[in-house]
Amino acid sequence: MNIVVGFKIVPDDTMVKVSGDKLLLDVPLKISTYDKNAIEEGIRLKEQFGGKVTGITVGNNDRKSIREALAMGIDEAIVINSKNLDVYGTSLAISENIKSINPDIIIFGEQTVDSGTSGVPGYVAELLSLPYISNVKSLKIEGKKITADRGMVSYLETVEGELPLIISVGGEINTPRIPSVKQIMESSKKPVKEVNFEIEPKSKVSEVKPLQVNRKKVVIEGNINEAVDKLIEKLKEDGVL
Amino acid sequence: MKVVLFSESPPHYRMISAIAQSLNADEIIGVSAQPFKFTHRLLQYDKPNDDGLVDLITSLNPDLVITGSVRRDRAVASRVAGRMKTAYIPDGVMVKLNGSNIIVNRGAYSGIALAQVESNLPAVITIAGTSLQPKEMDTKIEKVQLNQGRIKTISVKPTSSGANLASAEIVVGVGRGIGSKENVKYAEELASSLGGVVGGSRPVAADLNWVSEDRQIGLSGLRIRPKLYIALGISGQPQHIAGIRDSKIIVAVNKDKDAPILDNADYLVVADAVEFCKVFKEKIEQLKKKS
Repeated sequence: MNIVVGFKIVPDDTMVKVSGDKLLLDVPLKISTYDKNAIEEGIRLKEQFGGKVTGITVGNNDRKSIREALAMGIDEAIVINSKNLDVYGTSLAISENIKSINPDIIIFGEQTVDSGTSGVPGYVAELLSLPYISNVKSLKIEGKKITADRGMVSYLETVEGELPLIISVGGEINTPRIPSVKQIMESSKKPVKEVNFEIEPKSKVSEVKPLQVNRKKVVIEGNINEAVDKLIEKLKEDGVL
Repeated sequence: MKVVLFSESPPHYRMISAIAQSLNADEIIGVSAQPFKFTHRLLQYDKPNDDGLVDLITSLNPDLVITGSVRRDRAVASRVAGRMKTAYIPDGVMVKLNGSNIIVNRGAYSGIALAQVESNLPAVITIAGTSLQPKEMDTKIEKVQLNQGRIKTISVKPTSSGANLASAEIVVGVGRGIGSKENVKYAEELASSLGGVVGGSRPVAADLNWVSEDRQIGLSGLRIRPKLYIALGISGQPQHIAGIRDSKIIVAVNKDKDAPILDNADYLVVADAVEFCKVFKEKIEQLKKKS
């Protein structure tokens, strides 16, 4: 099976902070949360059906994150160097670089933790004229047939389709593996293909500013009875109780 | 300018109708399963499927497509943008037109930041929130049959518990720190004594099923705006904070006084979540008796 997984390298969302009117983005990079689930699912399909997993990433080319994806078990990585691509540009960069692989399945995370657009999987599906199943919680593949459960928050939809196609997955589908030291060592021998891709984006970010929410951050400690009394008093003062 | 609207969620459909009306479009066409009267025309379909919706919306040659931002809306919107090879800007909270340029304000970095994004028309945008209200219009309703696509729906099961978190004034959110599915009943009892409802973090709702999935609060679930939000045993992942950011007052209950949620809380009570629920509930009932 020819498997492609898309993953994005983003500033660690647990470390991004606001200072005054500035957003502090100079923090360590990581593979976006649900993109690790996409990588894991790709590797599991390879373990089940054989074949090859190609990882593709656009934008940041942080070596440590790429090594991590390779160590988890992808066979090779396509790294697209680019600046300021929007959903359109990113999708074009991905579809142009995976067409020749003829993937049977392309797996993305359902939402990244930086821009969080959920836009790339559906956009790529149209550029490649492939069917798309979003928000997959679980899936079963038999021959060319795929059956998937889509978690749509207020309902669960079970659908059927045929490979080749594109899916996006959330955190429920699996638990991403942690690579062993041996796998990390071996990952340095796996091929990484670097490509440059630039295109005029269709949309441009003209301004990013922190959203200021000033919370009181009062810590109430001690005896639970007294703590709750104190809390009730505060909530009454705030007019919410 | 021709604007096409689609959302499978009625509250989102109302929001996008209000946005479209505020842009003074020449023609507004709605696509919905319900007979809403906020547009010039309404194409009413019976059963949804993503492929059929994408075909229908693109066949109308819109200058601007606006959808809600629930999961199906976003899947459809991104594909419409892909087929039209236009810009795709999701999760808008403010939209304005400047000639043939559209300007959208949206959250980024799990809601920590507000980004202003600009694009030429045609474009596809999705709306996460607005306080604008639509006005009723004289709507011409046409029934349409959606094309059957390459993905077939086998079954649809509601995960709905009937709780309405979106409009609740008090929400009690549970996280892994509450300990077990059985312990959620203490949160339920506290919520009912406060006249509120219980929701949960994504791991608790979608993964562990300690609360039903439609109660999932966060970036990719529900974004709530109660006057009081009580986070029980929730550490404070940015994805969860994105869903509660608009709460008036946030109380966190955590055994760890250094839990990251403190940055986003008005009060952090250092305590066991279950113990807190029992004591808080009792005191609320005493207060009710007194008044």
